[in-house]
Amino acid sequence: MTKVTITDKPSRPVNKKMRLKESGGLAAGLMLAPSLFFLCVCSIYPFIWIFRYVCYNYNGFKATYTGLRNFQRMLADAKFWGSVGTTFEYAALKLIFIIPLALIMAVLLNQKLKGSSFFRGVYFMPTVISSSISGMIFTFIFATGNGILNGILMKLGFISASSPIGWLTDAGVVMAAVTIMSVWGGFGNYMLYFVTGMTSISEDVYESSRIDGANAVQTFFRITLPMLAPVLKVVLMLAITGAFKDYEAIMVLTNGGPGNRTNVMFLYIYNLIFSAEAGSQAQIGYGALLSVMAAVIVGAVTIVYNLVARRLDDVM
Amino acid sequence: MKKTLSLALALMLAAITVLSVVPAMADGKTVINYWSNDRHDETYMTEMINKFNEAHDDIEIKMTIMTDNFEQSILLAYQGGEAPDLVGQSIDIKNFSEYGAIESLTPYIEKDAEYQKVNEPFEHKYEGLNALGDDIYWVASSMRSGVRIEYNKDLVAAAGAEGIPATLDEYIALAKKITEAGAGNYYGIGFTSSSPFERQLEMMAQVSGIFYYDYVNGKFDFSGYKPILEKGRELVAVAYPDQQGVDNMRALFAGGAFALWGNASQEAGVFTQQFPVKDFEWGVAPVPSLDGEIKGALQVNPNKGYIMMSSCQNKDAAWEVIKYFQSEEFLKGYLENGYSLPITTYMDGIMDKTKTGRMADFSLLPYESVYPAVPTINLSGDNYRTVLWNAIMGYVEIDAAIEDLNTRYNEAYEEDILSGTVKRLVIADYDPLHPSAGTATYLDK
Repeated sequence: MTKVTITDKPSRPVNKKMRLKESGGLAAGLMLAPSLFFLCVCSIYPFIWIFRYVCYNYNGFKATYTGLRNFQRMLADAKFWGSVGTTFEYAALKLIFIIPLALIMAVLLNQKLKGSSFFRGVYFMPTVISSSISGMIFTFIFATGNGILNGILMKLGFISASSPIGWLTDAGVVMAAVTIMSVWGGFGNYMLYFVTGMTSISEDVYESSRIDGANAVQTFFRITLPMLAPVLKVVLMLAITGAFKDYEAIMVLTNGGPGNRTNVMFLYIYNLIFSAEAGSQAQIGYGALLSVMAAVIVGAVTIVYNLVARRLDDVM
Repeated sequence: MKKTLSLALALMLAAITVLSVVPAMADGKTVINYWSNDRHDETYMTEMINKFNEAHDDIEIKMTIMTDNFEQSILLAYQGGEAPDLVGQSIDIKNFSEYGAIESLTPYIEKDAEYQKVNEPFEHKYEGLNALGDDIYWVASSMRSGVRIEYNKDLVAAAGAEGIPATLDEYIALAKKITEAGAGNYYGIGFTSSSPFERQLEMMAQVSGIFYYDYVNGKFDFSGYKPILEKGRELVAVAYPDQQGVDNMRALFAGGAFALWGNASQEAGVFTQQFPVKDFEWGVAPVPSLDGEIKGALQVNPNKGYIMMSSCQNKDAAWEVIKYFQSEEFLKGYLENGYSLPITTYMDGIMDKTKTGRMADFSLLPYESVYPAVPTINLSGDNYRTVLWNAIMGYVEIDAAIEDLNTRYNEAYEEDILSGTVKRLVIADYDPLHPSAGTATYLDK
């Protein structure tokens, strides 16, 4: 066995500055400085700023300290808690449809069939369209009297001209309209994640399964799905947080109506801060408090999801 | 070489800094930046601004139009030291004046007899809207009329009516008759999804003497709306089966999809230019009231005023620009082009009304007036227009909606008064037919 001895370098006077230079700490500090600066300015400061106003009435001009009044208002604000419930309902509906659809489309388009690249592009296209524009497009599609969807359903004989479906005016069906729009706008993005995940699965694994006589369904459930699990976890996490934060397209399509049926929490907060009408004024302080509460809710949902995902990992 | 390059860069940087600090000057002219949120009159404004710029070698006007988040944009610009010199009147003067961001025009107005003759600023001084006490912050060049009923004359005549009835019951009966005759092809009335309550029923309530703020006692009171909401339910039952955006509904009206539509004088331009009505004649009529009697004023909106920012570096030049925008020549062209209605007796007397086209149909009614600005409060939940429309649509019971509004509005009002956010507005001698004639008092309790 060879014995390795480490000899000390010839000793010389080393000051603090030089040590820092030699260890690369100065260079690292300088390289980190821009990122740290932007982290403080763009992320930490706005977050502190939000907390600064939660105990104030602030309309952009004058901040009046109101103590715990905003907290009391929040607890008694039926519209806010209603919007939290609506957000959960919307997120659940969106996730139920968007994830399976994105996965199915990814599997189909990963078959290396002719034209699959073209369809990937087509399905991805809604993702790059502004959500407010997609909201506007769907107002034409879902219009009751002269809407495209009702027109098609009438031609196919599913509904009659005398009883068109009030996609945006009937509180019973409006959530379906909002879900269709959000699934259309988002599934292409998740589909692309799945396609990317599938390309990393080795072709040898599929070949072995074919030799072993596995059919398409068995291949999907026994090979594709388990090997996609890490991607699926990330996609689910993104889909959950995304669904909880959606509001732009809903604002254009229904503005939370009819009768607050589609009023999600971030739409309510947006309107509190930016919409001063009918005797009310911009409420930045109260809006800031509700934003904090909304962040807590989204954070709690994400933590629960992570715990469930970890337990599933252990089981699997 | 390196030295020369460094010197050149330093000089460039210095030049940029100096140019950005020195008050805006273009070709030796003082530049007055004006921000507007009016797009409908852009052609005329641009043409007249070009005319001014060509005729003046000392002042240049630069106009920027922005329609979204106008007030927030101005506030942010002011806070960032980048505010324009003049802005359109669509901002809350109370907040901006308390913040010290806007300049009172009273000293300039008092010195200018010609301006007073054309614009009648002291006759059209509205507390909380364009003035606070003796300080006038903007003067209206014109006004938007109160809501009218625009109607399809052919469909109304086919239903056996000569025009729009004076009572709400008859109006509902007319809408119902047209819907029945239409058998799904056309309908009696149409509502938009964008502030639907405001566009017809709220105005019918106003002329029936119903208003949401009790000026005499200084509190909110929605109790009077009950009969209006009940009638509203009857109207919705026979309406076009969809409430789309304003422009979509306008296009549907112009296409003959329904017979009765409610909106103010901007529809004169809409139904002649934006969505020209070609296949039928359309009429304009006053909104009906509950019993046919006029018991309250119909709200009009003074508009096209100019506010001077306190950060303006060239206030005299900015005042010259305001004077030009509100000169007789400028206003005559503006009003005769049908962009808005005259608000002053002087302009009403000298303009050629034969040139205004359908705008003439929206002329001021004897009972139209400006309401004193109601205090703005920190309200949780839906505003009254949303709640009352939800009650009409049946999403909430009428009595529950009224009770909810009375509670939430007054609780928020009392809390805001207590915290010093707002003051209680009381007009002891308030007259619903002449709402701006009373004496406004602001109380701390």
